Amino acid sequence: MKQLIALDINDQIYEVPVDPWDLLSDVIRKKVRLTGTKKGCEQGDCGACTVLINGQAVLSCLTLAIACQGKKITTIEGLAEQDGRLHPIQQSFVDYGAVQCGFCTSGMILSSKALLDSNPKPGREEIKRALSGNLCRCTGYKKIIEAVEVASETMSKEGVK
Amino acid sequence: MFLNHFEYFAPQAAKDALDLCDRLGAKAKILAGGTDLLNLMKDKLLKPEYLIDINNVDEFKGIFYEPGKGAVIGAATKISEIERSEIIREKYFALHQAAGELGSVQVRNMATIGGNICNASPAAETPTPLVALGAKVVISSLSGDREMPLEEFILGNGETALAEGEILTKFLLPEPISGSVSRYGYIGLRDAMEIDAVNLAVNLALGEDGRIIKQLKLVMGSVFPRPLVSEEAPEILIGKEFSAELAEEAARAASSESKPISDIRASAEYRREIVAVLSRRLLQEAFSAAQGEV
Amino acid sequence: MGVWDKEQYVREGVPPFQDERRFTQVGKSVPKIDSPAKVRGEAIYTDDIVLPGMAYGRIKRCTEHAHAKIKKIDYSKALAHPGVLAVLIGDEAPKKWGMLPQTANETVLAVDKVRFNGEGVAAVAAVDEETAEIACDLIDVEYEPLPVLLDPFESMQRAGEIQIHEDAPGNILHEGEQVFGDVDKAFKECKYILEREFKTNMPQQGFLEPQAALANYDPQNGQLRLWSSSQIAHYLHRQISDVLEMPMNKIRVTVPTVGGGFGGKAEACVNEFVACLLSRKIGRPVKVTFDRSEVFYTNKGRHPCHMKMKIGLDADGYIQAVDFDNTLDKGAYAGWGIVVLFYSASMIHLPYKVPNARFRGRCVYTNKPSMGSMRGLGGVQPRFAMECMLDELAEMMGISPFELKMKNAVESGYTAVNNMYVPHTEYKRSLQKAVEKSGYLEKHGKLPFGKGIGLAGGYYITGTAYTLYMSYKPHTSVLLRVDTEGGVTLHCSAVDIGQGSNTVMAQMAAEALGVHFEDVHIQSHDTEVGTFDLGTFASRLTYATGIAIRDAAEKINGKLKEIAAGLLGCRADHLAIKDRKIYSIYEAERKSMEWEKVVEIAVNTTGSLAAMGHFSPPRRRGFDLTSGKRAQGANIGHSPTFGFSCQIFEVDVDLETGKIKVTRVTESGDMGTMINPMAADGQVEGSIVYNLGACLYEDQFFDKDGIHLNPNFQDYKMPTIMDMPEMDINTLTDSYDPTAPFGAKETGEGAVQPTFPAIVNAIYDAIGIRFTEVPITPEKVLKALKEKKKGK
Ligand SMILES: Cc1cc2nc3c(=O)[nH]c(=O)nc-3n(C[C@H](O)[C@H](O)[C@H](O)COP(=O)(O)OP(=O)(O)OC[C@H]3O[C@@H](n4cnc5c(N)ncnc54)[C@H](O)[C@@H]3O)c2cc1C
Ligand code: FES
Ligand code: FES
Repeated sequence: MKQLIALDINDQIYEVPVDPWDLLSDVIRKKVRLTGTKKGCEQGDCGACTVLINGQAVLSCLTLAIACQGKKITTIEGLAEQDGRLHPIQQSFVDYGAVQCGFCTSGMILSSKALLDSNPKPGREEIKRALSGNLCRCTGYKKIIEAVEVASETMSKEGVK
Repeated sequence: MFLNHFEYFAPQAAKDALDLCDRLGAKAKILAGGTDLLNLMKDKLLKPEYLIDINNVDEFKGIFYEPGKGAVIGAATKISEIERSEIIREKYFALHQAAGELGSVQVRNMATIGGNICNASPAAETPTPLVALGAKVVISSLSGDREMPLEEFILGNGETALAEGEILTKFLLPEPISGSVSRYGYIGLRDAMEIDAVNLAVNLALGEDGRIIKQLKLVMGSVFPRPLVSEEAPEILIGKEFSAELAEEAARAASSESKPISDIRASAEYRREIVAVLSRRLLQEAFSAAQGEV
Repeated sequence: MGVWDKEQYVREGVPPFQDERRFTQVGKSVPKIDSPAKVRGEAIYTDDIVLPGMAYGRIKRCTEHAHAKIKKIDYSKALAHPGVLAVLIGDEAPKKWGMLPQTANETVLAVDKVRFNGEGVAAVAAVDEETAEIACDLIDVEYEPLPVLLDPFESMQRAGEIQIHEDAPGNILHEGEQVFGDVDKAFKECKYILEREFKTNMPQQGFLEPQAALANYDPQNGQLRLWSSSQIAHYLHRQISDVLEMPMNKIRVTVPTVGGGFGGKAEACVNEFVACLLSRKIGRPVKVTFDRSEVFYTNKGRHPCHMKMKIGLDADGYIQAVDFDNTLDKGAYAGWGIVVLFYSASMIHLPYKVPNARFRGRCVYTNKPSMGSMRGLGGVQPRFAMECMLDELAEMMGISPFELKMKNAVESGYTAVNNMYVPHTEYKRSLQKAVEKSGYLEKHGKLPFGKGIGLAGGYYITGTAYTLYMSYKPHTSVLLRVDTEGGVTLHCSAVDIGQGSNTVMAQMAAEALGVHFEDVHIQSHDTEVGTFDLGTFASRLTYATGIAIRDAAEKINGKLKEIAAGLLGCRADHLAIKDRKIYSIYEAERKSMEWEKVVEIAVNTTGSLAAMGHFSPPRRRGFDLTSGKRAQGANIGHSPTFGFSCQIFEVDVDLETGKIKVTRVTESGDMGTMINPMAADGQVEGSIVYNLGACLYEDQFFDKDGIHLNPNFQDYKMPTIMDMPEMDINTLTDSYDPTAPFGAKETGEGAVQPTFPAIVNAIYDAIGIRFTEVPITPEKVLKALKEKKKGK
């Protein structure tokens, strides 16, 4: 028995019919058609499906969509500026070679954003801890850490949120 | 990877949650963070007809501390909140450590302490420190609350003392006795996202002199269907002056008390070995820290 | 330094216009052209695509057995279930497929029996994924269990009693022997001889994007389109054509963005066939996306190897003979098997001079999911054995492993006894640089107990010499198009799986045409829009496309120069094209034109410009002109050129828990010119962490009945960011292979080669224990430490 719910995704309200058992990852990908959120394992182990709910990084593959009414959901599509300019984290991922196949990238960037929003000047260990739930099989992580460090500097310089 | 079909309830008040629980009985499951429950449902190991989401019930959440009395932690409190809590860090360090090692940032933001306990996995992170810290649980139902030590609550792998219609609502942590210190540690293959091969917590208090061990609780995880409290380690150490040799002896004793199994994560033999190592290390660590306290 | 001696590296005084190494586009760390779309979440992967009327396919798998006869499949209930559109079973597509046509023995879905746990037995198409999943549960399959063979030796032994394939007596896919020189005689003359046995694990690629395929068959015109997350559009194309019995020209394969492959997508995959067959059956688009467990059931990971190796050195430490025996656990189906077998054979011939060598090997069937081609195919296992043994031999001799390896390292111009030819190498400089940067000589053997440092080298091919089926066609063709509308467009069906080939191709095309890399549009990933390319494997793309691009660009440049020469009043062969300008190399100031202007004039007079370029690898097979004998080997293993590298690992061993912490890695590699140094570094860093996981914890487990115990990321443990060591990457920046396009060779597969032995040698340095089996779990370390203490 489907229910029409309102989801606030990237500051836009989407009215979507959902069943109680629909997972947020599937609703975002298939109903809202924001396919930047990826599914790598559907069991919480890879972090590819990471989204922000009220600013906190969570796994959309283990979240019921119906439970997300009234919450602010941010997906990777919600990071760039209105005019298409990349968010500093996105920009530094591009500039510092932190992207290879890109399948982990959405989750990595969102986890990084949650970190930098709460801790604008993290140390290396803090960055590692914050990203330890996001597997990347391609990069060896080094350039991802560098990219987060650079983004942290840019953001504090430019006062970006 | 689909969930079975169920009806979903998201009560706002404790009373409503308990009402639902009472009414729906065994056909319902409590949904807290969902990090265990939804995985089990995806694997079709559980097919509840109703889910009662307790995340909106404020009465089930939060960390409250009263000096001299101890802390109360709501069962639906997120692991990340516990990890960040200053008071938990200060008073119940082992729990702070365990919270910080559970899963990943995302998992900690979702998972609750109540879920970790009710899921009753032998490898779980928080039961060991909670038992070591002498935690009690509060179980609520329409007919009222009951309390019991956590040790008695977890009965085995996936089994708890919860009866139909009951919700675990609170954890009561006693005020740590003066001069006490707690520590937590685990061993797994990787440095993150690890299902522990073994985890362990100690809670140790020194006497006024800063040498004699006044109180000790050593709890082992992942080596028995439920948290295993060492009986011999306290016997060896309490009332004695701490020494590396005694710590070693206590660690060996704990190790021989453990009853681990072999699985793909580790063999029983290795687990037993690690219990000894972790016990000794944590005893040493706790002792040194306790000396600083006195 | 061999044929390319030092002089050739001195570029001082060479005027820029005569210096083919003075690049403007190549050698720059430009951001990957596809990364902006990826960071915005806008890159489209196969599972992201939805077509009107699309149905969802799912495979019913045999999860209860690893070897069983199929007695009966009853899918009536599934078919009757609302929303189910079709059911497919093995008998409907009995044509056997496999990477090598000679050994094709896999069917789309099991026919008559299942040979590994998780094999597909039926498939359904339904209106949505959930219905498809339910329908699979409604299919009843009756099995008669057969004895399960999980160990290759047991499999050979019990072959009389139970055979996995009717046509494979002895349960052996293939046995091979290669002998070069007189090995036994050489050993007799050796002063130092060492013999060891090694065993490797069963890691899986672990790409983050599960396989997905979307097929759309058009019943009106009989055309089939397939979108799939594949590394090998061409081989996939061939195999689909084969199994569906449709001509290739009726099939178009498009590869959307790929979320990693590492060889795991270098073979056709069951979901691709199933999507196509179901789509043909129902006349609607069908998508089949795997969940993670299906990725593990499909496997196609690295072959576990049981290796015996014997190495002999003369009194001065020069290798005289290598004897290598390898038993590979093939799993259930042939796939890449023979290729891997003979790659492993070829690996003993480099990067050291080995005058006498013998190989005996066999690929044995077992009831495990098939192994396939995993990053560093055929190389990782023998490299592990050889580099560890050289470490031990150096100890026997009382010299540093570095010294021993330097002594034996190959040089440019070397021809191995198996006829493999190395046109260029900087292996020695890689060794030196890594040693220097890490302080290896100061630390090795001198660190406190529990801390250690280990060195290992390695090499890998830069593409294969042969196609997997009999054909003499070029391995890569590109089409370069230049016009006033699209500017420069490069067509080639090569697939970028994240390694950055699209970017690298754009840089090379820009360099070759004298424009900027942003000016080049890449049309790849598609068998219809792109021209022929063999695929993304064997570390081949940079080299192969580089040569083809240069070939095509020269033709375009020739035309433009002719026109510009007339306009500028000079000779065409005096003209150079660089930086969007065409100018006389002698009067650059006076005689110069905008490139774009010349293009416009060319197009206005003779129309759009286009040129094809091709790459065919040099062949080494055939007859030896001097001896008249047929040159043996060098069929598999030979390559136009080779990449080399050295890694030095530092580890901390927790002596009480056995846990190994890799603290630091110092790398130096010779990959020729780095077309894009940032991307090249990324390959090396990725490689190190990749094989670090396989060395220390990754493995797939089966119970005694062959049931897969860890088909998930919870218990198949890949390194997290917390497990990453500090990495100091020092790829040689001045290596240049004059025989290679822009001087570039390979990385990506070469860089995984030294990791196992470097870690293992470091562990030895730390605790005095030589491990010969991976993964080296804390448990194994602790056990070994105890045994050592007991004096065993
Ligand atoms: C990727 C990943 C990594 C993980 N890593 C770890 C780890 O390192 N260590 C570890 O210990 N765990 C780990 N877990 C398991 C899990 O996250 C924890 O056990 C978590 O604490 C469960 O809490 P939850 O709120 O998500 O529980 P849920 O999944 O919501 O519930 C679990 C069970 O408890 C019941 N329940 C929950 N709350 C109550 C209540 N108040 N009263 C009665 N019944 C209740 C539910 O009905 C259900 O049966 C991991 C999980 C994932 C997905
Ligand atoms: S898809 Fe959600 S964590 Fe992997
Ligand atoms: S870039 Fe491929 S998984 Fe991270």
